[in-house]
Amino acid sequence: MTWNPDSDVVEVARGPEPGGLGGAYRVFGETLRGLKTSFMRVVEGTHTVEYPEEKIPVYPRWRGRHKLHKFEDTGLEKCVGCSLCAAACPADCIRVVATENTPENRVSGGERYAAVYEINMSRCIFCGYCEIACPFDAITMGSDFELADYNRSDLIFTKEMLLAEPMVRTPLRAEGE
Amino acid sequence: MPRPEIEQITFTVDGREVEAPAGTMLADAAKLGDVDIPVFCYEPKLGAPVGACRMCLVEIEGIPKLQTACSTPVRDGMVVDTQNPRVKSAQESVVEFLLLNHPLDCPVCDKGGECPLQDISFGWGRGETRFVEPKRHFQKPVELSPLIAIDRERCILCYRCVRFSQEVSEDYQLILHERGADTFVGTFDGHPYVAPFSGNIMELCPVGALTSQAYRFRARPWDIEQSGSVCTMCPGQCNVSYTVRDDRVVRVLNRQNDAVDDGWLCDRGRFAYQSTYVDERVTGPLVRENGRLVEASWDRALATAAKLIDAAGDRVGALAGGSASNEDGWLLRRLMTEVVGSRDFDSRPAGLLSAGLQAALDAPEAQATVEDLDWAHAVLVLDTEPVDDMPVLDLRLRKGIRRNGVRLAVATSRPSALDPNAELTVRFAPGAGEAFVCALDAAIGGVGDVTGLAAAAGADPEAVEALGRMLREAGDDVIVVWGERLTHIADPERAANAARALLKASGRLGLLDGRTGSGLLQVPSGGNGRGLREIGVLPNVAPGFSEPAKVGRSSREIATATSAGELDVLHLLHVDPVATFPDRALWQSALGKARGVVAHAAFLTEGVAAHADVVFPSEASAEKEGTVTHPDGRLQRLRPAVGKPEGTLPTWQVLSHLITALGGRATALTSMMVTTEITEAVPFYAGITHDEIGGFGVRWQDRDASEDFPAGDTGPFSLDAPVAAASPNGALRLGSFRSVWSSPEVRHAPALKFLAPKQRAELNPDDAADRGIRHGQRVLVTADGTVVSATAHLRTTSPRGSVFLETGLGDESASALQSTEATVPSMVTVESA
Repeated sequence: MTWNPDSDVVEVARGPEPGGLGGAYRVFGETLRGLKTSFMRVVEGTHTVEYPEEKIPVYPRWRGRHKLHKFEDTGLEKCVGCSLCAAACPADCIRVVATENTPENRVSGGERYAAVYEINMSRCIFCGYCEIACPFDAITMGSDFELADYNRSDLIFTKEMLLAEPMVRTPLRAEGE
Repeated sequence: MPRPEIEQITFTVDGREVEAPAGTMLADAAKLGDVDIPVFCYEPKLGAPVGACRMCLVEIEGIPKLQTACSTPVRDGMVVDTQNPRVKSAQESVVEFLLLNHPLDCPVCDKGGECPLQDISFGWGRGETRFVEPKRHFQKPVELSPLIAIDRERCILCYRCVRFSQEVSEDYQLILHERGADTFVGTFDGHPYVAPFSGNIMELCPVGALTSQAYRFRARPWDIEQSGSVCTMCPGQCNVSYTVRDDRVVRVLNRQNDAVDDGWLCDRGRFAYQSTYVDERVTGPLVRENGRLVEASWDRALATAAKLIDAAGDRVGALAGGSASNEDGWLLRRLMTEVVGSRDFDSRPAGLLSAGLQAALDAPEAQATVEDLDWAHAVLVLDTEPVDDMPVLDLRLRKGIRRNGVRLAVATSRPSALDPNAELTVRFAPGAGEAFVCALDAAIGGVGDVTGLAAAAGADPEAVEALGRMLREAGDDVIVVWGERLTHIADPERAANAARALLKASGRLGLLDGRTGSGLLQVPSGGNGRGLREIGVLPNVAPGFSEPAKVGRSSREIATATSAGELDVLHLLHVDPVATFPDRALWQSALGKARGVVAHAAFLTEGVAAHADVVFPSEASAEKEGTVTHPDGRLQRLRPAVGKPEGTLPTWQVLSHLITALGGRATALTSMMVTTEITEAVPFYAGITHDEIGGFGVRWQDRDASEDFPAGDTGPFSLDAPVAAASPNGALRLGSFRSVWSSPEVRHAPALKFLAPKQRAELNPDDAADRGIRHGQRVLVTADGTVVSATAHLRTTSPRGSVFLETGLGDESASALQSTEATVPSMVTVESA
């Protein structure tokens, strides 16, 4: 096949030539058009949210602070300490140490339970992979995003903290809101 | 059976021409062409394949039905297809069938993440099941033994564990119960599966059916790191891989090295890591203050030890234990010879052989390797019990006998675990090894008074004759596996006579000619016995078996000299002579009389606890750095897998500091520099580097420097008349043994504690009947007024006129009864308690 340079030529679309009275008129017109948008916002009134006094509800799929769950009927923990969340975690912020359930001390539904379950929130990137990896729906991402603290070590969340019902600080967006 | 010649053939797999050794199974041969055939039941270590799981089905041109690749040997010109739709559908179906009853509990299963069933389901499975009926259910988890948990629901019936028990360790305990879907693995009568090698089945299991109780739920594969090293608890020196989580060893796995361990581990090596993390372990230096050992700073402990040694001048004796690495031994030697100026140090519990005889026994020409045992014509196990002294060797011998028709003869005083496999067993009186080797030499040579010598050894003359005939006629490749115990005779003349007789007998069989595949293999009594010998931690041997300028005292002489007040200070490197050496009373008095005792110990064993003035903590196996030498001359490298306890110094550094403190010149700044010092001093180690040792070790006999091995004293010898074994004459001869479970690690590891031995007196039922003793009854064993109580254990195989007691059990030890004049074996009386 022979090379045909003609087909490579791209037509360049150019605007009207600037200059003269016509140009000045056009610039003025465009500026007015922009200002129209600005003034219309003024009519709408203020949009500032007075955070933290006022909060925007988050969507149900928002990925905030994690929660660990228990079975509602038996009260046993859903987490069996399988460490799959730790394996999936790209930030390497989850540490799980598992132990065996005994008849005297039954903690979870399976043979094993997490004796230690820690999430280092200062490392967490809130990707939600832990929730996806969990075979027992034991960990989910909650709605809370207000995690700032004065001390890094306080940002290591233990199992007890994750199991406890979190303080409702962030409103959840209702259906259709 | 001699090692067969294997030719290369060419076959085609998935359109690729692959060259493979003839007779290789297709599953292995395909790997040479980068084709992976999935397997569950196939494991070359277990011997002949069984084709039980059907996972490896492949299509072979010319055969109408699919064939199992694990049990089909490759042939020249074979054309194999592993990828066509027919094979694919077979593989998918097999995975689907295997998963019918397999529970979906991967998240709680310890195997999850390192599970062949997971991998193969993912790689070759259909991805979905059509099975809607309820799955098979068993009670779970059940204890198969205190060490192993079994989950029978997860079992895919691959037979690996059963085959291991039946065909490799030959303890014949595991079987399959019931039929069809109800089949499950267990022991015949439901008793726990306790055996020296039981832990291997957990590693063999391709699913999570057999899991470790000690490792149960400790970590998942992505939480851990593997770190390779070598186990130093016995001369077997198996290659291990430590599983480390959060800087703690949580599991020990094998690291297959066919030249050393064949990929097996004993349970002691597998579970003793637990003793690293017990409260009883010494983790910091201790100094004796007002009669009690109290914690002290490193500076103070080093200063105290240096002061003790300094004050004693050259009146210092030292002992090195079997777990000492070459580096530890070398620095102890330098401390003694260069700084203290004493040659009174030893690494053998008893006996003394001249440098020439040692060199002759360890010569490269006379050396058999562990791998040679696979293909020897005949093997003689002489005065050693492999399962206790070097456990992994027991499996190697069984393998040779079962698979390659090796002929085995066992000549020991105590009945051996290998007796049922032996073509010939000969018993001799305990302590009469010297007379027995003389008789054996006469029988092999067909000269001399075999009957008289055999009678002196307390052995059956006909059996000795038969043994001589068997070894003479077996073929070219004969290997004698002999225990160092044979030469543990207090009288050096007699020890030398035993060694000469052994060399003479070996010479007659042509074992000293340098022929590959035959020779001697010594089982030392300490883990690194050979290394310590070769670097010259012996009173009469300089590095590399050269003659030293001055000969010092042997371990027994050190004991007598210290008792007599001729030595003031004893330096114990990873050894407690009271607990482990023969003649407990003598050592107790020696340590009591010594003005100072400096010890390196991991646990406060009785002698250390009672007498040591300074105790330095010694490293656990997984913390150790250095090199060790295998009984067949393989240098292996110890690599630290985890950090030492906070602030602790390694032993080589402690010894270095002591050298400096006493005015010597410490030349080593790292453990590696000590290794270099050793390779410079020992001619036949010349030039060995850590890199060359690598992961699997290097045999110095295979290197050019081995030509610098000194010529040994190979005779011709004329043998002295051996000392005859005492006639029982109403009493019983005392024999001693040390079981595989007798070590401080076993006593302290939580998982292994239940195996720690209790004293038992092994008796022949007839001897017992004469004394009115029943099996399991408490008995009192008395010698010269010393009494040891034990449980009577009647064994029909036990020879008449002897009783066997265990050593290493404190007051209850056999060593408590052994007389100070150990020229004749001790006689004891046994009566019911």
